[in-house]
Amino acid sequence: MPEPDVEAGEVKISARDVQVFYGDNHAIKDVTVDIPDKAVTAFIGPSGCGKSTFLRCLNRMNDTIDSARVEGDILIDGENIYDRGIDPVQLRAKVGMVFQKPNPFPKSVYENVAYGPRIHGLAANKAELDEIVEKSLRGGAIWDEVKDRLDAPGTGLSGGQQQRLCIARAIATEPEVLLMDEPCSALDPIATAQVEDLIERLRGNYSVVIVTHSMQQAARVSQRTAFFHLGDLVEYGATDDIFVNPGDERTEKYISGRIG
Amino acid sequence: MPTIWLILIVLAVAAAGYAAGRGRALRGVGGEGRSLHSTPAYHGANVAMKSAGPALLLLAVWLAAQPVYVNGIVSAMIPDSAVRDGTSLELTLAEVRRTARGLDLAVEKGLMDEEFARDAGVDPADMTARLRDSGAVVTSAVTAPVLEAARKFRALDAAGGRFMAAAVVAAAVLGALWGIGQARKGFRARNVVERGIEAALIAAASIAILTTLGIVLSLLFNTVEFFGLYPAHEFFFGTSWAPSFSGRGGSSELGVPPLLWGTLYISLVALLVAVPIGLFSAIYLSEYAGSGVRSVAKPMLEVLAGIPTIVYGLFALLTVGPLLVDVFGEGGLLGVSWQGGGRSVMTAGLVMGVMLIPFVSSLSDDIIRAVPRAMRDGSYGLGATRSETIKRVVLPAALPGIVGAVLLAASRAIGETMIVVLGAGAAARLSLNPFEAMTTVTAKIVSQLTGDSDFASPEALVAFALGMTLFVITLALNVFALYIVRNYREQYE
Repeated sequence: MPEPDVEAGEVKISARDVQVFYGDNHAIKDVTVDIPDKAVTAFIGPSGCGKSTFLRCLNRMNDTIDSARVEGDILIDGENIYDRGIDPVQLRAKVGMVFQKPNPFPKSVYENVAYGPRIHGLAANKAELDEIVEKSLRGGAIWDEVKDRLDAPGTGLSGGQQQRLCIARAIATEPEVLLMDEPCSALDPIATAQVEDLIERLRGNYSVVIVTHSMQQAARVSQRTAFFHLGDLVEYGATDDIFVNPGDERTEKYISGRIG
Repeated sequence: MPTIWLILIVLAVAAAGYAAGRGRALRGVGGEGRSLHSTPAYHGANVAMKSAGPALLLLAVWLAAQPVYVNGIVSAMIPDSAVRDGTSLELTLAEVRRTARGLDLAVEKGLMDEEFARDAGVDPADMTARLRDSGAVVTSAVTAPVLEAARKFRALDAAGGRFMAAAVVAAAVLGALWGIGQARKGFRARNVVERGIEAALIAAASIAILTTLGIVLSLLFNTVEFFGLYPAHEFFFGTSWAPSFSGRGGSSELGVPPLLWGTLYISLVALLVAVPIGLFSAIYLSEYAGSGVRSVAKPMLEVLAGIPTIVYGLFALLTVGPLLVDVFGEGGLLGVSWQGGGRSVMTAGLVMGVMLIPFVSSLSDDIIRAVPRAMRDGSYGLGATRSETIKRVVLPAALPGIVGAVLLAASRAIGETMIVVLGAGAAARLSLNPFEAMTTVTAKIVSQLTGDSDFASPEALVAFALGMTLFVITLALNVFALYIVRNYREQYE
């Protein structure tokens, strides 16, 4: 599956010598990586390798954990997001996130999606808000399923619908980057396929970064893959290269199922 | 035989039965413990259980039933003429029991022999003198019917005691033999012991439930009795509370609305203090405070809950009351004269509010922390600030639980006594001014039952009706709170 536009895609996020510590635990060591725009980048690796931790650095979600400490530079569009002048709250509106377990708020479907636009004042009136909600739900490929029950609680949807609702919620704030932390690990195969289709479509507008435990999923949805092991970024490159010609022995062992 | 000896004998039989059952089970398989269904200890425990359980149960039932039976027989012996003027059969029976104890004491001290104590021909006056000499408590001259009843009482009591001892020991031994007989290879002693343990646990739980039931029933019967003496509509709708203890019937006005108003008004003030402060400190502790601050601040807050309410009462009376007078009283800081004395709704309400802060904060803190981290992450991930997240996601998710916490605090406020006794005053009043002294249902229960009061008068019995009213209100609040808290648990599952 050749992806000619990938190599041409501009660099959206570039990380330089990133270190993360949880207390005394050195969770991420010297990670340097360039993530392209309008493409899907997958982070793979065994449990505890630091891939989720690194993902959470990209929108400063680690700030909400007291013991976490981040060193090094992460630039989005050339701007260092750990700079003093950057407001993490603004950053997170620009870098959306979808979590491992679907976590809709205990509110209606409509309110779930309207949450972000409301707090950021993206809609001037109710009509605009309605428009944003509909656009986002369409973007999340769930509009047809929920258009008749926008007032029903979001927690009442099925797991796959909840996760697509969370994706719709994330894109309602019009982010530029979408981070996904194992978005399909709590879903059944059919819901997984639907979410994967959605990711494929999102690639047209966003820079998508996905952490996954499933190597098949990484191979299916991503154009670039990064392999993490024990806090090190072992190998990073085009997905096809990584899976066909892994450059590092550890990558090859992981892909063939001998470690992890 | 003293009951304690009987208990020790039963336990000794059970212990011996344990050893015997254990030994028999082991011998039955030639010392090969493995081929038994249950370990030898279970066979022993089965024997001990079967011996001690029924025997002790029998003992308890017998101890409860015998006095009832003996009293029944003895009271039938007392002619109406023997009941002194102005007393009741109950008091005469008490005299019979005292005389019987006196006879026991005299025999024990050697002042008379058993023959003499049982001799029906003895002159009551002579007997009274001898009983006095022995140091027994005899209030007046013992009359012939009382003396005769006392003799009968002694005889029945002694016979009952002997029968009881025999029956209990027999039950223990028979139970032990039954258990020992069962101690064979295939017997499932382990399962039987398990059921025995279950029965013991059920018994423990029932004691608590039956006690509650007993309290409620006693409240209920006395309330019914009160409404027999005092019209219910005047109790529920009368706007004046003016009990009289002069003994003239019908002169008391016992309307509950002024007391209920005082209770609700003071509780309202207390909640207005406790809910915002408690809730905000809970939010601070759960969402903002670092673990260091939290580990110090939370126990400090909970110390408030450990202060005895009488100390809060003193604080209200000696500190808060005078302070309020300095501010709102005649010649005070504000130049108004709303508050006359230190005791007022405000005084009691403010102090009670402080008392309730840890209630609200501790429960709310737990509830807020129970809101899954995923909810917060979802909100932060969308670029919400901390207070936006709390206001729009955490509090709505936790709201039913917080309402439950507030309702529990409210039922606590309604039932609170010492603070209002000391801080709110004793005047039953229907007024809107929070700086006036008022009183509450609980404070009036205290004042109606303290001092010499005849328990058959409406003035004393009203306490039970008041207690019942409070009980119904707090029970309703608690049920409502539990209902809300339970629904809340289902919310994000």
